[in-house]
Amino acid sequence: MDFLKSGLKTVLGAPEPGHHPSGAETVERLVERVNNSTLLEDRRDACRALKAMSRTYRVEVGAQGMDTLKQVLELDRADSETINHALNTLNNVMSPSQFEEEEENPQVPMNIGEQFTEMFIKDHNNVQLILDLLDEYDFRVRLSAVQLLTSLLTNRPKDMQEIILVKPMGVSKMMDLLSDNREVIRNETLLLLIKLTKGNANIQKIVAFENAFDRLFEIVSSEGFSDGGIIVEDCLLLMLNLLKNNSSNINFFKEGSYIQRMLPMFNTPEENEDAGWSPQKVSNVHCMLHIVRTLVSPCNSVQIVSDCQRILKNAGLLDSLCNILMASGVPADILTETINTVGEVVRGNVGNQEFVGNVMAPSNPPRPAIVVLLMSMVNEKQPFSLRCAVLYCFQCYLYHNEMSQANLVQTLLPSSTDVSNLTSGQLLCGGLFSSDVLSNWFSAVALMHALIDNPIQKEQLLRVLLATNIGSSPVSLLHQCTLLLQQTTKLQSKVALLMLLSQWTARCAGAVTGFLRAPSAVAYLVNQTCSNDHDDNEYLLQGLSAFLLAICIHFNDDSVENYSRESLKQLVVRRVGMETFVAKLSEVSRHELYNKAAKHPQLRAKAPAEVLIDYEFCRLFKVLEKPDGEGGEWRRGSGWGWGRGDGCGAGWGGAALEQYKALIRQQDARLQELVAQLDDMLQQNHALQVALNDSKSSNSLLKDENTLLKAQVSAAHGHSIEAHDKSQYEAKINQLTAEINRLNEILKTTQEEKQKQEVELEKLKNDQDDLLILLSDLDLKVNDYKSRLVSLGEKVEDDNTEVQESNLT
Amino acid sequence: MAYAYLFKYIIIGDTGVGKSCLLLQFTDKRFQPVHDLTIGVEFGARMITIDGKQIKLQIWDTAGQEAFRSITRSYYRGAAGALLVYDITRRDTFNHLTTWLEDARQHSNSNMVIMLIGNKSDLESRREVKKEEGEAFAREHGLVFMETSAKTAANVEEAFINTAKEIYEKIQEGVFDINNEANGIKIGPQHSTGGGASGAGGAGAGAAGGGCC
Repeated sequence: MDFLKSGLKTVLGAPEPGHHPSGAETVERLVERVNNSTLLEDRRDACRALKAMSRTYRVEVGAQGMDTLKQVLELDRADSETINHALNTLNNVMSPSQFEEEEENPQVPMNIGEQFTEMFIKDHNNVQLILDLLDEYDFRVRLSAVQLLTSLLTNRPKDMQEIILVKPMGVSKMMDLLSDNREVIRNETLLLLIKLTKGNANIQKIVAFENAFDRLFEIVSSEGFSDGGIIVEDCLLLMLNLLKNNSSNINFFKEGSYIQRMLPMFNTPEENEDAGWSPQKVSNVHCMLHIVRTLVSPCNSVQIVSDCQRILKNAGLLDSLCNILMASGVPADILTETINTVGEVVRGNVGNQEFVGNVMAPSNPPRPAIVVLLMSMVNEKQPFSLRCAVLYCFQCYLYHNEMSQANLVQTLLPSSTDVSNLTSGQLLCGGLFSSDVLSNWFSAVALMHALIDNPIQKEQLLRVLLATNIGSSPVSLLHQCTLLLQQTTKLQSKVALLMLLSQWTARCAGAVTGFLRAPSAVAYLVNQTCSNDHDDNEYLLQGLSAFLLAICIHFNDDSVENYSRESLKQLVVRRVGMETFVAKLSEVSRHELYNKAAKHPQLRAKAPAEVLIDYEFCRLFKVLEKPDGEGGEWRRGSGWGWGRGDGCGAGWGGAALEQYKALIRQQDARLQELVAQLDDMLQQNHALQVALNDSKSSNSLLKDENTLLKAQVSAAHGHSIEAHDKSQYEAKINQLTAEINRLNEILKTTQEEKQKQEVELEKLKNDQDDLLILLSDLDLKVNDYKSRLVSLGEKVEDDNTEVQESNLT
Repeated sequence: MAYAYLFKYIIIGDTGVGKSCLLLQFTDKRFQPVHDLTIGVEFGARMITIDGKQIKLQIWDTAGQEAFRSITRSYYRGAAGALLVYDITRRDTFNHLTTWLEDARQHSNSNMVIMLIGNKSDLESRREVKKEEGEAFAREHGLVFMETSAKTAANVEEAFINTAKEIYEKIQEGVFDINNEANGIKIGPQHSTGGGASGAGGAGAGAAGGGCC
């Protein structure tokens, strides 16, 4: 302070003895000095003094000195020191924070900085003045100008953004500073840009156009990616600003191959696992995950989301994310956010969903990652936010994917043979009937998501049977849910079950029938609907019960005798009354948590008590409740025409329409039946195949055993009775084999002999023929001689010739 | 797919002359007769080939309305090429060219290639500006000229590609400082990027480019 006093003395001259000037007076004299001094040094000293006083006497300096200081910025631009003092003074005056010096002073209003800012920026030229000073290369001037702009933006963000936007090169100038090789300036500029880009799409686009992403990735990589300091976080925050709700920039980010450049950020080196995560690293990774989620947020257009999802997978980012998921030592909040992120990266993208479905956790025995995640979801001891994240991730995994929906239901069907493996279906069933109310809710909602827009699985799930008690006959899942709904006293479980049942029975006559057949289900619903408790949550329960009842009427195929469409309607009219019924229905959408849930696919509950309604249920409710919903499903107004057969044809297309609808419904049912049959056949086929394989393998196993035993037998002959027995059999077998061999041998030799004999026989025959021919020749000759002899007059006996002739024939 | 160069373009001109439609025709190969007014600036991208080299075009389509003029000015500096568009069926859009050109020259870097485009050449019956007039204006101000139709796609490819050729030639002549990214030109990642990363990038660009590459 001594220095300050002496400084003041030199500027103001020696004070009059006995008179202590007040702060205001001193400021006044200093301002005068800045205004009137011809010497640059004097003006500079006065500025320095004003700066020194501006913290304690902010109001005075601001009120009297503002115009003068602006003048200095214009006229004394050549002297960087003076400029620097002026900028600092202005920054103090308009600082958004409270100084230590003024904490004691009640005279200073809280928002004094903001008031002065408002005055200062009223004249846009003042802002231009500061922007021009960004061109100064002097370190202090540049830094002070950046800081002053940051203060102005903090106080009046919207106004400042509009002013800077219309200043040509305004944004560009700031962007240039990001390349300043003096780190202090670069870092301050980052803070400035974060403020500047917040919530202003036009500025965000210009900043992106000015190569912001390139600059930021350069900085992030030079600072060591996620292991870097707070600068990395600042860079990521700025990126987040540029991308949030800005589809043009997201498009640019994707087209500019920046997604690929994010990969090294998620590569966490192994060695860090032991060291744990520093708080800064946690923040950095949080920001990175946020950026990924911004790209694939369900709020973006489908085109953008699917493109980004594809690139994220191809670039290996999904892989990296899954690695984080399965790594050890990851802080819980990072894990939670990673689960959410993985969810949104796969949501509605079949390829990515399949990829995640195939990820195996490094557990013993190895289990699918999805199963491990679900184990956390139904585990009371896991943090609440983590469990919510798993639910969301699982919902995303099922979203628009009939395969993964079918796979889940499949694990519950009796045909799946491996009992030893824990499956997702079993986990969910366990959760559904556990004593932990959150597990009930999560499991019911997860199961419900397997049924969305999937009539086949609704039918399939009807086949699921549960063995409740040993000895008693198995109960269907649907009945068990209905039973639980009536037994439980917990609100969340009730709501969850009602949502599940609504989703299940909607557009599925089979499920409606199943539900109506469940003992006392309808009576319970009617009672609930009639209930007169006055409480938001009670209203909700009444509304949901009415909703389920309405579904049971609407999608009823009259197959349950007591509860046909008509009789159910009569029941409602008689017991509840049409007016009341409609009123109760509308209660659902009035509930605070309904409206909260309807906004976003992700459950955004801060506390377990806020877990009540699911987004997809809201969608179902909206579609069915809509006055002219698909096919004019339910109609409000005159008597609520949801009883279609009542012939009040005005609202409805008449009997013909009814007929067609019935026909379509029939065909639909038939189709579903056939599909189910096909499914069954396929399963049977599969089972048979498995059985065949089994028997084959067991066969070969037995063979192996046999050889083994043989070897053992020959090695240790007669050591035990069994071995003895075996050896006996063995001997017998050997004997028999030998016998067979011998017989074979004999057969062979016999055959050979036979062949030989045949050959001989042939030869003999031939010989005989030859001989016969010879004989006949001889005969001829004899005849010849005979005839000669006869001609010569000799007497010859004929007997001989005749015998010869008969022999020849 | 890796690219050799990346060029940044802007499209400027009066409101309703068909700037957004030109971009849509170039990137998506389709025409949308009713187009929302562009607010501020919109982004589009496509890959082209010049001289056997892959060149990525990043195109910023600006709003023509006067209210957005100050915003669009921020885009001049960082662009390597500009498509200055007028509507051949509206004389006033042609008359405003001088203002646009002054604006562009004032805020852009001096090497920016400007292509003058008379759009809606399919509406011959309603023509108000002769082709010769456009040619004369271009000659006078040293611009390249072309008449296009975003509706029939006539000359649209050529307009974007010829501009790129012009820039490419300037690079070959050494006029552009390609190391200064403020000029709107970037050298491609070439061999430095990993195969996987560049492959995915190419896939993204291919989708947006409507299968041009």
